[in-house]
Order: sequence, then structure tokens, then C-alpha cells
Amino acid sequence: MSTQLERTGEDLMWREQSIVRTFVELTDTLVEDFDVVELLTVLAARCVEVLDVAAAGLMLVSPDNELRVIASSSEAMRLLELFELQSEEGPCTECFATGSSVVHPRLSEGDLRWPRFSPRALEAGFQSVQALPMRLRGQTIGALNLFRTDTGSLTEADMTTAQAFADVATIAILQNRAASEAQAVNDQLNHALNSRIVIEQAKGMVAERDGLDMDQSFRRLRSYARSHNLRLVDVACSVIDGSLGTGSLDPKAARREA
Amino acid sequence: MNGAGIMLMAGDIPQGSLCSTDQVSAFIEESLFALGEGPCVDAYRLDRPVLEPDLANAATPRWMAFTGPVLEVGVRAIFGFPLRVGGVRLGALNLYRDRPGALTADQHADALAMADIATRAVLVMQSNAPLGQIAVELSTGADFEYVVHQASGMVAAQLDVSVGQALIRLRAYAFGNARPLRAVAEDVVARRLRLDCGSEKDPTP
Repeated sequence: MSTQLERTGEDLMWREQSIVRTFVELTDTLVEDFDVVELLTVLAARCVEVLDVAAAGLMLVSPDNELRVIASSSEAMRLLELFELQSEEGPCTECFATGSSVVHPRLSEGDLRWPRFSPRALEAGFQSVQALPMRLRGQTIGALNLFRTDTGSLTEADMTTAQAFADVATIAILQNRAASEAQAVNDQLNHALNSRIVIEQAKGMVAERDGLDMDQSFRRLRSYARSHNLRLVDVACSVIDGSLGTGSLDPKAARREA
Repeated sequence: MNGAGIMLMAGDIPQGSLCSTDQVSAFIEESLFALGEGPCVDAYRLDRPVLEPDLANAATPRWMAFTGPVLEVGVRAIFGFPLRVGGVRLGALNLYRDRPGALTADQHADALAMADIATRAVLVMQSNAPLGQIAVELSTGADFEYVVHQASGMVAAQLDVSVGQALIRLRAYAFGNARPLRAVAEDVVARRLRLDCGSEKDPTP
């Protein structure tokens, strides 16, 4: 891992290219097979590649408001994050709770801030940690954990880049959620429209076969559905595909059968 | 612009008109529904705006059945904009003008914004509707052409065919007799017209 001072011009150019490539990858979310886990796994890997950190991990809040580990750049990182969630203390939980970034440049054994988390992090080889919120307009959906094997905090340039990565990932996730919700509402609307059409068609069929008007045939369909504990739309479908003869909808016929 | 309408689509088929600003727009929407072709249908299928600045230009006849009747009621330019958000498509916004001419860049941008607003409004309204039902806000003032579906059911019984085939027969009858599909459907439902009586001639010449 190179420090800022050691970086040559070539290093800087490589870094810039990596950052640009990462942004392109993160924003490529309108593709049909967009996957949150994949997005965040890419993000964790690129953080380690581009920033002066040894490991990166991401947590997202679930619908029941619990943080969950979604992606980690290494297995040691993943275990540490799971421990963090279990012990309910550490950079990510604190960052998520406050919605602002958390920096701890020198972890120690007798740490008062995170008495359970810090010894475990040291044991895993990490000396300093930071966490950045995944946040858009007051809504915090998770946090990005960045762990280093040296003491000290990230450079300002690295912090800015990391926050920009987190911001783009946040927007991508929220946009994908909005799109999925829109899809669900649209599916529901189409289903409602189709149900209504099927019912109208069945009304017409019953009206023609039994010499009724539309209101009368609707009442006949509805009372059959009720007395047989069926959904109106299912009765209508059966009438249309011929599996339910209109004759059996007639209450008189039903009485004769009984 | 002289008028506008919004058509809901599903599975490449017009489902019904959510609203229209005037009689000509209502006629356009009815024709889209009856014929299954026109700018809204294309805009929805192609997922992009479909612009026809001069319907009367014979060099670019775009819609075989739709163009004639719509020209006759005074439409000269017509534009369809898809209602969409992300990968979700709901239908299309339809704009018309009684004189030929392309949209200006500003008008085009406004139409895109209007389509966007309409899309969001439809989704917000429907998201509050009970499962399996169309939101009351959406169905009020909308025209889902229920009479056509009722008539399909009746014709299916008359001819002993599927409702899908019955709808095709109704459309063919309407087109063959140069009558609006809805008027034909109303005649069937009122029992003034049966399609199982041989010649299938219009009873009201």
C-alpha cells in the first residue's frame, strides 16, 4: 500500500482512472439484472484498490430497521462486521445511528469507546477505522466501513472519494427500489384492469345465454361467487373458458340440484 | 396544442382511456382502442416519442386504419409520448393539433415533463388502491370501454367462439361498416344487433 507522499505521477494517473472506472461501474444500474449485493461487492473491492485502506465492508438497513452485512472485501472483514452487529457497537453502527461519518485513528485494547469491538479489530490486524454514511436527503440506508492496518485517518482526498462512492451507490440503490415499487404498482394496475375486463365479458356471456340485462347477470355472477366462496374474477374466468356453464349460475337451477 | 389524452396500455394492447380534454381527443383515444394502432400504441411499444407533424402527408402513411378517420375529425398533427419510469411502462400521452407542424424544442420538453408527471400521478394513485382494484381516482372519468367487453361476451355466446375471437369479429364488423366500435358494441348490448344473423349488415343504414 503506497502512502500519498510516495505516489508517482503514474500512480496518480492510475488512481484517477480507477476512480472513473468505479463511478461508471456504480452508475451502470439501469441494466435489467441490477443486483444490490453485486453493486456493493464491487464497491468494497474498489475501495481497497483505490483508497489507502486494507479492508472495506458495507452494511444496509433492512425493512425491519436492522443493519445487515451485505458486502465485505475479505472474510476477516466480514466476521468483524458480523461481530460488530452482534455486540451492537463499532464504527458502522455508530455511523448509521448518527448519519454522519465516524473516525477512530488509533484503536487500543482498553478502548472506552468500543470496549468489545476494538480488541476484536486489533486481533484481526486493524489499527484504525472509519465509517461513512450511505445517505440521501436525510434518509440513511447503511454505512461504508473502511479499516486500515496502520494508525491514523485517511487523507482528505481519500475521504472525499470514499464518500462520493458511497453517495453514488446510495442513489443507485434508492433508484432501483423506486423502480421495483413502480413495477409492482403497475403489475397490480394491469391485474385490476384485466379482472375488470374478464368480469365484463362474463356479464355479456351470461346476459346473452339467459336473456338477462347486464345488471341482472352481474348479480347472478356475484351471488354464485359468494355462495361458493369464490372470487368474482375466478367465476368470470370459468364462465368465459366454458368450464362453468351459465346454466349453473341460475339460482333456480342450484335449488333444483339441491 | 388543441387537446390531449392519456391511454393506459398493458401487454401491447390499449386498455382504456384515463382522460381526454375534448371530444376530438376522446375520438382519438377511442380509435386507438378500437383499432389497436396509432401514435400512443407505437410510443408505448417502441418506448420513445412518436411524432407525426403532418398526418395528411401521403408520403408517410403511418397507420392504415387510424389515419383516415382521425384526419376527418380535423386532426393534422399528432404526437405520442410513453408514460414510463425506469423500465416500467404504463401507457402513453397523446397530443394533437388541428394544423400541421412539428413540436418546438420547448414543447417537446414540456410534453416529456407532462408524461413524467402523469406517470408518477398514476402510480401514486394506484399505490393506495385496494389489491385487485383500480384506484377510484383513476377510474373516475376514465373510459375503459366496458361496453365493448360486454358485447364481446355476448357475441362469444352468439357465435360459440372465444371472447378474443368475438372481439375480432366486433372490430371487423365495425371496420367493415365504417362505424365506431363502441357504437356497434352498444347496439349488441341493447340487442339491436346480433352477429349470428348471416349477412352482418348494419341495421341502421
